[in-house]
Amino acid sequence: MSVAQERAQRLAALPFERIGRPVSGGGGGFIAGMKEIAAHRELLGLLVRRELKQRYKDSALGFLWSLIRPLTMLLIYYVAIGQFLGAARGIPQFAIFVFAGLTLWGLYSEIITAGTTSIVSNAGLIKKVYLPREIFPLASVGSALFNFGVQMIVLVGATVVLGQFPLSWNLLYVPAATLIILIYGLALAILLSALNVYLRDVQYLVEVALLIFFWASPIVYSWSFVLEAAERSDLPWLGDVYIASPISTAILAFQKGIWAAGSQDVVMGTNEQTGEPIIAAAQPWPADLDLRLLLMGLIGILLLAIAQRVFSRLQGNFAQEI
Amino acid sequence: MTTASVEAPVVVRAQGVSKRFVIRKEKSLKERIVNFGRSNLHKEDFWALRDVTLDIEAGTTIGLVGANGSGKSTLLKVIGGIIQANEGTLERRGRMAALLELGAGFHPDLTGRENVFLNAAILGLSQKQTEQYFDSIVDFSEIRDFIDTQVKFYSSGMYVRLAFAIAVHVDPDILLVDEVLAVGDEPFQRKCMAKIEEFQREGRTIIFVSHSAEQIQSLCDRVVVLSHGKVVYDGPTDEGIDALRASFEGR
Repeated sequence: MSVAQERAQRLAALPFERIGRPVSGGGGGFIAGMKEIAAHRELLGLLVRRELKQRYKDSALGFLWSLIRPLTMLLIYYVAIGQFLGAARGIPQFAIFVFAGLTLWGLYSEIITAGTTSIVSNAGLIKKVYLPREIFPLASVGSALFNFGVQMIVLVGATVVLGQFPLSWNLLYVPAATLIILIYGLALAILLSALNVYLRDVQYLVEVALLIFFWASPIVYSWSFVLEAAERSDLPWLGDVYIASPISTAILAFQKGIWAAGSQDVVMGTNEQTGEPIIAAAQPWPADLDLRLLLMGLIGILLLAIAQRVFSRLQGNFAQEI
Repeated sequence: MTTASVEAPVVVRAQGVSKRFVIRKEKSLKERIVNFGRSNLHKEDFWALRDVTLDIEAGTTIGLVGANGSGKSTLLKVIGGIIQANEGTLERRGRMAALLELGAGFHPDLTGRENVFLNAAILGLSQKQTEQYFDSIVDFSEIRDFIDTQVKFYSSGMYVRLAFAIAVHVDPDILLVDEVLAVGDEPFQRKCMAKIEEFQREGRTIIFVSHSAEQIQSLCDRVVVLSHGKVVYDGPTDEGIDALRASFEGR
């Protein structure tokens, strides 16, 4: 039998595939989408590598830059907020505290900024080849995770050097918090990347929104400051509103996991007149943190499914709209 | 080039496929607000494809021809799943590779070798298969000396050679081609054509868009002539070329 006849026979046995995803909703579409991505996981790996390579192309220090930026930010916040504004007086091991927050925030903001522009910046591919398009925001998540990993090594290294390695069950909060950030980051990246195709303002809006959320999260100041401010201003519900943000909760959980000094009373020095030790009390943590994380994780997964459905609906016209 | 003994199975089936384009003329938020309510004035609506129905059997080489803007590239993209039709259904079976633009997935900062792996993955090869074909791809492209150079330093000839070499190694059942059959210098063009003929002998389906009547005549055994998004002729090549000329005069 000739090659051609064999091929014809094989093809005759294959079922027909409908091209173009069904636009109507339903959970089946979500699962089908996930399956398609799984089939392309090798390509996803290559795209992540491409993204990392192109970022530091032709630079002498290469990926060290992904460390220099957060370390510089750490230095700035340590000096300006910690020492000049005095936040470090009430927060023991201030450097670990700030770097923990910056590391997790860095993951979130990188997923969202890179994810939002991921479809538009891959226009060349999207116009010419069919791929499951969710792969592009996913690749942004991959490269953000790589940078996060590098920073995590530095963070854990620092806790060991400073004798602060958090050897306790609290350490489990670290993966849980990271997971929450990944779910919300991915959901937003998928949604915003699709919207950005139709309205380029989205990418600028995202920059501004991230700036606001950075300062609305307990990264460079601690949760106790927020509680005190809420008490002073007679607005006790302010703390509840603040903690309703999944990002704030995730960052708090992350700090609880990695920043051991926050969970104990720490001697910060001695009072010069009386000779009594000045003690920073253990940080307050939100009540029911575990339950909150679980709930937020579930809501996040729901949001992710909705984001994927919206994406799926919009992606049919990507090739002509970009 | 259909096979004699086995009935050739249908690999692409389009039924009543229509595609409408809506082109808005403004993009920024400010302009949208300013033009709010009048936004319909800034929309252009036209049908790039109108009720296209056709079956393509395995092993045929089919040419989609027509004047500029007749919808042939759109039809190719709908078959490739790159854009979705508004109406009608499109069904397909077998592995498909689209050559709509050579080197669409190339990244200028990566080396030739890295781009081979990336582009092959985009076209649907696994890492393992690419490793298997790697030497053959490089040999076909004849640029072994430059394979570890970033592709931004490639000449345009080297670029298309590598891209074409990858594309023909993907082992597709259906190959979609948009005007990129003959690239590079003359010896390489001959090599490309020889590869296409080999594909035909192996019973692969080739769907291609071209403006070159000569190419269509030498390669295709079926021609579909489109005009204003509608199929105006579907049949053997020679009459197809006549129908194409007629559609030029008729517009």
